[in-house]
Amino acid sequence: MYLWKCWRDTRAFFIAFLVVAAAAMPAIGLASRGTDVMRDVGWSAVSGTFGLVTMVTALGLGAIGATHGFAEQATHFLFTKPRSRLYFVWVGWLVGFMEMLTIAAASVLTSWATLAFYRIRPFSAPLLGSIDERNMVGMLLLGLFAYALTYSLTAILRNGLKGLGGSMGILTGINALGVLMRVRWNIDLWPVWSRTSLASMIVFC
Amino acid sequence: MNDLAIGTKDLAKTYDSIQAVGGINLSVPRGAIYGFLGRNGAGKTTTIKMLLGLTRPNAGSVNVLGMDVRNEPLAILQRTAFVSEKKTLYPALTASDLVHFSRGFYPTWCDSAAEKYARLFEIPMNQRFEKLSNGNQTKVWLLLALCQGADLLILDEPTTALDPVSVDQLMHVLAGDALDRGCTVFFSSHHLEKVEQIAEYVGVIDGGKLLIEARLDDIKNEFRLIIAAGNALPAETSAQVLSVDVEEDFYRYVVTQDAEGFAAALVRNGATVTSISPLGLREIFLHLVRKEQPCTFGNAGAIRVPSSSLS
Repeated sequence: MYLWKCWRDTRAFFIAFLVVAAAAMPAIGLASRGTDVMRDVGWSAVSGTFGLVTMVTALGLGAIGATHGFAEQATHFLFTKPRSRLYFVWVGWLVGFMEMLTIAAASVLTSWATLAFYRIRPFSAPLLGSIDERNMVGMLLLGLFAYALTYSLTAILRNGLKGLGGSMGILTGINALGVLMRVRWNIDLWPVWSRTSLASMIVFC
Repeated sequence: MNDLAIGTKDLAKTYDSIQAVGGINLSVPRGAIYGFLGRNGAGKTTTIKMLLGLTRPNAGSVNVLGMDVRNEPLAILQRTAFVSEKKTLYPALTASDLVHFSRGFYPTWCDSAAEKYARLFEIPMNQRFEKLSNGNQTKVWLLLALCQGADLLILDEPTTALDPVSVDQLMHVLAGDALDRGCTVFFSSHHLEKVEQIAEYVGVIDGGKLLIEARLDDIKNEFRLIIAAGNALPAETSAQVLSVDVEEDFYRYVVTQDAEGFAAALVRNGATVTSISPLGLREIFLHLVRKEQPCTFGNAGAIRVPSSSLS
């Protein structure tokens, strides 16, 4: 029953982003017909769209899912049901997680289909250089980290805006730190960051 | 404690430096209707939260339906229905959605009862919760609690925002349907006349202390209002004299224990006793908790009622 409620709470956001994620690359392809744009930067566009969709979805689902579940006003009702608090936390988390993966998968599949239509080899973008599939995995991991962080902060603070704001603040701070390290000391944190986000995910879990 | 639906021992809760509940011993017999009374901030809601495991006590123990709240909280929640003081729920869900949501948690859920109470309370089941009036929001909470098939109903201010007709309906449901099923009802309310109508047992809490707990009839037998006329009669409160109001030569005493003996003593002092009358729950409650004439008899159990009254 709680699964049903979680789905009901987030379905509007999920469907809207599923449509956006699935339609983005075909729309770009359609708009650039008759040009070399897709051949030159098609894969970069896929990568960028995927990263953006994943991050926005992560932040949105994290905040919305936890807000509906643990908003101050209904906790007495929820926590007097004969289930542990961990059950409610995990079911809500899992629903958002599955929705996020579905949106990411939809984005990748439709992008792939669009590139295939234009006979473009994935993982290559002549103008911007080749893009490794590990970047895609890294973006997904970053998205999952952002989702877990936003969900946790929202559940703890019992407020969607505070959770979202806190999460965005932390992510911005980490990115700023990465830029500083690269510019000041020529240290690239990206490989470390990918591993850190994975480790953080495990810790959150 | 097995004959008790709720039993607490020296239950205490402190928030920062404020003592919300100061070591109370509740005894709620199974199958009884128990009115839990107190002023705002007396500690009623905090006590109820501790009974349900929503708040951890700083000291003492809580036993509900024969189980310790710390060890078996989910088993207790499985058999306990609750109506919160704050009648807020998921705003986007309709009453029907909330029924759909709640029924999955309880194998003892009764759909026919849901239909019955929806009709009785005239709840618009397909309207979003946020669009319902305050009274209807309270009714939705009550419906969800009553259909659960629970052995224990814990209701925190269940009459909030209800009109007199709905309050009356609720009292009928509690005194009829709930008791017929052998359900124990533990409820807090400021509607003292309604509590007096249906409660078999009453507990009064003030400042986190349980002032009195007993069968309502025993409490009402214990207190008497004595009106006497005379000069220079005693005007001090004591363990026996709960309060004294003096107007010219008329004295109004609220006494506990042996009212006849006290009246006889007044007569020996030259007074004319014009009446000795029983008090209603409302008057007893007011005399127990009013601050301008505070109770001087101290802690829980200070007012002695026959111990046999708690079966």
